[in-house]
Amino acid sequence: MNKENADTELDATCELLSKDHKELSHIPDEEIVTAYERIRDQRDSACGGHTYPNIRRLYGTPLEREKDRRQVRSWAAKFRTEMQEWYEMARSQPCTWWLKNHLVARHAFNSCIACGVCTAQCPAAQYYKDYNPRIIVDVVLSGDEEQLVELLKSEILWYCGQCGSCKPKCSRENNLMGLISSLRFLAQLKGYHLCSIRGRQQYAARHLWGGNLWNRACSLYFRNVDAENHPDFGPRYAKYHSEIDQQMTRLGASPDATGQFGGRKVPSETLDELRACVAWGGTLALWNQLEEDAFEDAQKMGVSIDEYYDRVRSEG
Amino acid sequence: MVTAAPISEPTTKEIPENDFFLTPSCILGAINPGTEVLISRIYQLLGLRWKAAGDRRESECTCCTGILSHGDIMSMESTLLVVARLWSIAAELGLENITTACVTSFAIHTECLQMYEHEPDLAQRVDRWLQEACSRRLRIPRHVVHASDIVYRYRYALARSMRHRLVEKKTGRPLRIVDHVGCHYAKVFPEKAVGGSDRCDVLTGMIRSWGGETVDYPERRHCCGMGFRQCMIRPNRGYTMACVLKKLESMEPWEPDAILTNCPGCNVLLDKEQWAVRQMTGTNYNIPTLSYAELAGLLLGWNPYDVVGIQAHTVPVEPLLDKIGIPYDKSEEWLPAGNMEVT
Amino acid sequence: MAKQVCIIGGGVAGMQVAIVLGTLGVPSVLVEKSSLLGGRVPMLSRTFPFFNDDGFSDGKEFTDALERDLRSTPVADIRLNSAVTAVTGEFPDFHVQLSDGSSFGAGALVVSTGFEPFDPSSLKEYGYGIYPNVITASELEWMLNPRGPSGGKLVRPSDGKKASRLAIVFCVGSRNRRIGAPFCSRICCSYSTKQASTVMERDPAAFVACFYMDVRTYDRGFEEMYSLAQERGVRYIRGRVSMCTHLPDGSISVRAENTLISRPFFGEFDLVSLSTGMRPCKDVDHLGQVLGISRGPDGFFLCREWFRHPHDATRDGVFLAGCATGMKPIRNCMIDGASVAARVTAILREVSSGGAAASHTVNLP
Repeated sequence: MNKENADTELDATCELLSKDHKELSHIPDEEIVTAYERIRDQRDSACGGHTYPNIRRLYGTPLEREKDRRQVRSWAAKFRTEMQEWYEMARSQPCTWWLKNHLVARHAFNSCIACGVCTAQCPAAQYYKDYNPRIIVDVVLSGDEEQLVELLKSEILWYCGQCGSCKPKCSRENNLMGLISSLRFLAQLKGYHLCSIRGRQQYAARHLWGGNLWNRACSLYFRNVDAENHPDFGPRYAKYHSEIDQQMTRLGASPDATGQFGGRKVPSETLDELRACVAWGGTLALWNQLEEDAFEDAQKMGVSIDEYYDRVRSEG
Repeated sequence: MVTAAPISEPTTKEIPENDFFLTPSCILGAINPGTEVLISRIYQLLGLRWKAAGDRRESECTCCTGILSHGDIMSMESTLLVVARLWSIAAELGLENITTACVTSFAIHTECLQMYEHEPDLAQRVDRWLQEACSRRLRIPRHVVHASDIVYRYRYALARSMRHRLVEKKTGRPLRIVDHVGCHYAKVFPEKAVGGSDRCDVLTGMIRSWGGETVDYPERRHCCGMGFRQCMIRPNRGYTMACVLKKLESMEPWEPDAILTNCPGCNVLLDKEQWAVRQMTGTNYNIPTLSYAELAGLLLGWNPYDVVGIQAHTVPVEPLLDKIGIPYDKSEEWLPAGNMEVT
Repeated sequence: MAKQVCIIGGGVAGMQVAIVLGTLGVPSVLVEKSSLLGGRVPMLSRTFPFFNDDGFSDGKEFTDALERDLRSTPVADIRLNSAVTAVTGEFPDFHVQLSDGSSFGAGALVVSTGFEPFDPSSLKEYGYGIYPNVITASELEWMLNPRGPSGGKLVRPSDGKKASRLAIVFCVGSRNRRIGAPFCSRICCSYSTKQASTVMERDPAAFVACFYMDVRTYDRGFEEMYSLAQERGVRYIRGRVSMCTHLPDGSISVRAENTLISRPFFGEFDLVSLSTGMRPCKDVDHLGQVLGISRGPDGFFLCREWFRHPHDATRDGVFLAGCATGMKPIRNCMIDGASVAARVTAILREVSSGGAAASHTVNLP
């Protein structure tokens, strides 16, 4: 195939970038993945073949999310790993079962004397007036399934900033940070996160960080942290970000290019290995569940999945 | 008025001296990439042997999934596997000392190590899964430290190479530098932090040996408020800004000349949210915020724009350079990528 | 002549053992490593729970009286500035060597080595040793003592100014699994309440806050002492203090959660007193080896039987009195002293009348 044909084909493929879920849904899985990868892997010959100019066009699009959706579903179906099955099974177990059996939860908590030293240090407890990490401990101590479910459905479960200020203080060596993280995972597995505004944001988190990880091997993509998303960073940052390719290259990073540091494009083999690690750890069970729940929730709200994605990350 | 913070006890943390595997940071890579590259330059200057995954060809390096883990969308087992994969790459390169550019990575790697200690058969299972996933074996590293530990260890050697000191050139007054240690460096595993969590010395050690004075203020150990899902999902960001404001208000009576950080998140937020704080409260704190690598680079005399990248900061760093007497050419600020050799 | 008893430690418990042994006609050698008798009691500004217990206005008046009793006991031989360096032989024929080179025979040994307050310098969150206005309970006690450095007045060490806002932090170095000290030190709630009450009594305009997790004022008269403290205006805030930091003028900011109303509490104080828990005194490592007796995981000496022989150490002929087995108030140390004296006397009488040598088979009269 000569270059001209290749270019035309690429242009046709790039049309997909402007399509949303509804328009993409009839395209078979493999085709979407291939199209995505073709767009992504095009190199810029002018820069010695080190730069990949299309990555910026793929990030954050319905195409990328749809591709991820399909790919994750097929990987999960293909692999059926031990941990994936465990998490799928855990979904139907009581919360009390989870606390005894989840790898993180069962090491996170011994006993509590309600001394309050965790709350004294907690920045979230000072900011969110109805939040207190001891409430979470109290519910866990109660061992009461109903109370646990209520906690998983609540807003307060999502206030913790995972800073760990509580952890070095606890008189009984509990790991409150880990306990909360574990409970949040459970809340999503069971779909209870849909009952709170903060919980619903997790769908956005899944695609924001999960999408970056799955496709770029890093939780954050430099183009996302732009002035529009971060007006709080001020005009100097806006100027910096408007020239980010130049500035990053200047400083030794690799924006959408081959390299070691920020913005680097990793080879497919690395992505495959990474994805396999994620799959073998059972995370795909969660991502599939999040997707299913989001579709249901979107339908209830009468919006498309792409609209839903936009909504949950701007509510709160 | 009490200014200088007293000196902590010497550290008992074992910091390896050479042969490092360097893992990069998501936040630094995305928002303040220069400071990460600086770590490699510092290693180079010190004559240390180091490699990153991919060893300067195409990078095999992934993130540690810390953000996803603390954002509650990654299972612990997946994190264990992704980290195990990085360890196996390090082992392939013949390296057993992991140095992370990010403090969350440091805590994640350390958490993995601890999990293997607390769960007797976990290592076996992870090894098996790793083989199935990507034909690699679990190789537990000897040391896991943060890159700031290395700079701490070599702070005197660096001081000897530094052209400038943390001193106000005109008056000889030592500059007052606030140390802001990342929560995930000092609090999650305090026994693994230089000086523990309350009197952490990793940054104050650098400040002292580079000529400056440390500052002890009430909210010194308060989190910057990054909070993972709190700063990254826009509606939640008020929490982050409030934490930054609280710290700035608390440190103000001590009139600090700069804030020093070792965490990517803190580095970004304590600098950039000063703009938001100004918009909301009308107060312009204007306290330059630098990472340890950036500060070292400036004191070593490296080009502030081309190499250190101070143009990426929201709070202008030039006033600090003026205080120290570091020369710079403002016209270079927004030059495009030049012929700076990236080693 | 009955065999003599070697008493190791000249605090109130050890003194009581010697005195009561004297009334029973049993001679003793009281060995004390320092130059003074009475242990930690003489520096107390007052005793509790009644504050004027037995008419003694402070600790030293009480120990002076005790010392008078002791010195008028002819069969009690007092050796100050001496420590036990070696013990050979077995019950009832021990041979004791002292650090001054002298030695003597003893039929039984009593360990009354007492305790040491925990040094909070290692708990960096409180700022002890860093901020001058953070002191220990022992330092507060001495400050409150009219014999002390400020004539009983509360002052800020940073600038010598009057201190009218005092924070008392409970459980420093106790009830903390994280630092390997999961136990409770028993008397800190009580002595802290005594101190707080004293401050309010002398300065009703003062602001005194006790930061507690529990108020364990459990003994006779103690609960009444607690009520009195509250009536005098002492504030009790239920929350473990997580951190102390300093403010520009040297005052200390104390942070805790007020767990009863679930709100964070940050207070500013002139002076912060850390109610430190207790540890066995430093010598017990060495002494335990010299004497061949066991200690528990908390470091204090173990008894043979919890209920029936609480004063018997884990070796025949060695007995334990006072805080060497764990913290207790003065009165309980005195009670211990008396019981041990009776126990030892009975055992020695059995031996001298040809009875069984093993101490644990002797029945108490």
